Amino acid sequence: MEDMKLSRSAMIAITVLRVVVGWHFLYEGIAKLTSASWSAAGYMKASRGPFATFFHWIASQPHLLDQANLITMYGLTIVGVLLILGLFTRVAALGGLGLVMLFYLCNPPLVGYFYSIPSEGSYLIVNKNLVEVCALAVILLTRSGLFAGLDRIVRVLVFQRAQPARTAAA
Amino acid sequence: MGSDDRPKKIDRRDVLKGLSTLPALGLFGYAWQKQRAYQQTKVEEAAAAAQAPADLQVINIALLGAGAQGQVLTDSMLRIPGLRFRAVCDIWTEYNQKRVVNSLKRFKHEPNAYEDYREMLDKEKELDAVIVATPDFWHERHAVDCLKAGKHVYCEKEMSNTLEGARRMVAAQRQTGKLLQIGHQRRSNPRYLHCYNKLLKEAQLLGRIITVYGQWNRGVTPDLGAPDRYAIPQARLTQYGFKDMHQFRNWRWYRGKGGGPIVDLGSHQIDVYSWFLGANPSQVMASGGNLYYDPKTHEWYDTVMAVYDYDTPLGPAKASYSTQTTNGSQGYFENFMGDQGTLLISESEVNYAGQLYRDPNAPAWDEWVQKGYVTAPKEQATKATSDSGAVADVRESVAPDQHTVPVTLRDPYHQPHLQNFFDAVRGTATLNCPADEAYRTAVAVLRVNDAIESRAPLAFTPADFEV
Repeated sequence: MEDMKLSRSAMIAITVLRVVVGWHFLYEGIAKLTSASWSAAGYMKASRGPFATFFHWIASQPHLLDQANLITMYGLTIVGVLLILGLFTRVAALGGLGLVMLFYLCNPPLVGYFYSIPSEGSYLIVNKNLVEVCALAVILLTRSGLFAGLDRIVRVLVFQRAQPARTAAA
Repeated sequence: MGSDDRPKKIDRRDVLKGLSTLPALGLFGYAWQKQRAYQQTKVEEAAAAAQAPADLQVINIALLGAGAQGQVLTDSMLRIPGLRFRAVCDIWTEYNQKRVVNSLKRFKHEPNAYEDYREMLDKEKELDAVIVATPDFWHERHAVDCLKAGKHVYCEKEMSNTLEGARRMVAAQRQTGKLLQIGHQRRSNPRYLHCYNKLLKEAQLLGRIITVYGQWNRGVTPDLGAPDRYAIPQARLTQYGFKDMHQFRNWRWYRGKGGGPIVDLGSHQIDVYSWFLGANPSQVMASGGNLYYDPKTHEWYDTVMAVYDYDTPLGPAKASYSTQTTNGSQGYFENFMGDQGTLLISESEVNYAGQLYRDPNAPAWDEWVQKGYVTAPKEQATKATSDSGAVADVRESVAPDQHTVPVTLRDPYHQPHLQNFFDAVRGTATLNCPADEAYRTAVAVLRVNDAIESRAPLAFTPADFEV
């Protein structure tokens, strides 16, 4: 099968996608960090679907809930910064993908599910969380940080450090 | 950039492309600062709206008890002009105290923080009033000591978890001459006041009230919990009467700390029963039990059903009340049924927010519609068939016309009652729920738990309601 390489304009588009997804993550994280009373408890208590028992259980355990809150707040913030900068892009995309997938699984818009959580749109199976999961998968697989982002510089620096060692070994 | 073109060194292109998205982070920072400034402006506008007019006496207040209820009261007080928070006292210095102090600072208050209320009373000489929102078993000591220190007191209901404590509060209020308002906030709710003053007293729309039914259904409530990093040291918990952090967070579940759901929930509504009926109950019988929760952690009943007898000025009445804490369906309301009409009311603005049904045999309410006391009727069609096509029985009653009470409360539910208290402090109003009035409610409510224990009707005498 022919190896397909993405065009420059495609890479620019994916980089823009990476930055706006990062922006969204960063503000979601900062908004939660700066809110005195934010907790994931309400979202998890409203969970329905195949994983509802798991999320209800976390919401009922103060220590686990506390950890979940911290992971969500700091996770979103850190992933957001890394995606914008294009630094450790694949790790950030993977982490972000995991977080948003959890959000999706907590309250999936499955057939016949009507949530009390206010929603600005209408969804059936696919919602904005799932769309963002797919966007992060694209970012993860296309390594846009190497095209435009700090990963490009980090990669060169790492390569330069490794090169003398390899030369010496040879 | 593939694996076949690995760079040997950083060139200008690498730097430019590597840093190409950095401006987005700067733009984010700029937008975020703008957003923060906008939010701060909104906070300042809200604070300015609560600014006292030049001629309004500023009242220096302290919040004693900064838990969930303390926060609810604080949110309401921040909307009331002419208040200055001077102190916040809470034994959970690691969390509650910090949270409320920080939120007050956002509204330009500079309260001092205390763990010990006695230290607060010693140091805060300029305090005019103290808002007590501590667990019930602390109300008596807090209220009495604050009154004796010369402060007016707004104390959350139940005024005490014991009648002895409630009596000492009334005595301290009388002895000091200071104001003591108890937080039965429906007494200041404009819809309840309209119903009492206009509909029941003036228009007498219900005729003679013969039966009352009320309920508060609440769903299962989990352990409130607390993260370890915010735990109160055991010595301090013991000092303030708590066995451990679990009991501190869930004190309502424990005997000796609160009074169970009949007190936590029912007290507000049973207070309305006696207020609207214009009498104290003459007897109560009740049944209750711990049907769902583990009695080791939930010492109080989770389900209570009570029936009161009243000898009202218009004749005898019976009032039933039910509260359960395992299913929140259909919420809370009070339903007064007279021989000429029915009033269904609740504190909620979205459910049962004041519906009136004129009995078909009652005189027309045109006059009261024209005066704006009730809305024009919405005729209730008596269905001959159900939605599924089943034919109604010939004995179905004719459906009464439905009116609504045209009064809504757009402020937080506790705000009018707090406003009434502060107006009374300024001498421009009288208290809507002074201590002796709340004492009578405490007698009626706390006796329910005794009636459950005794498994027999318990009679009240008029002397029971006097201090």
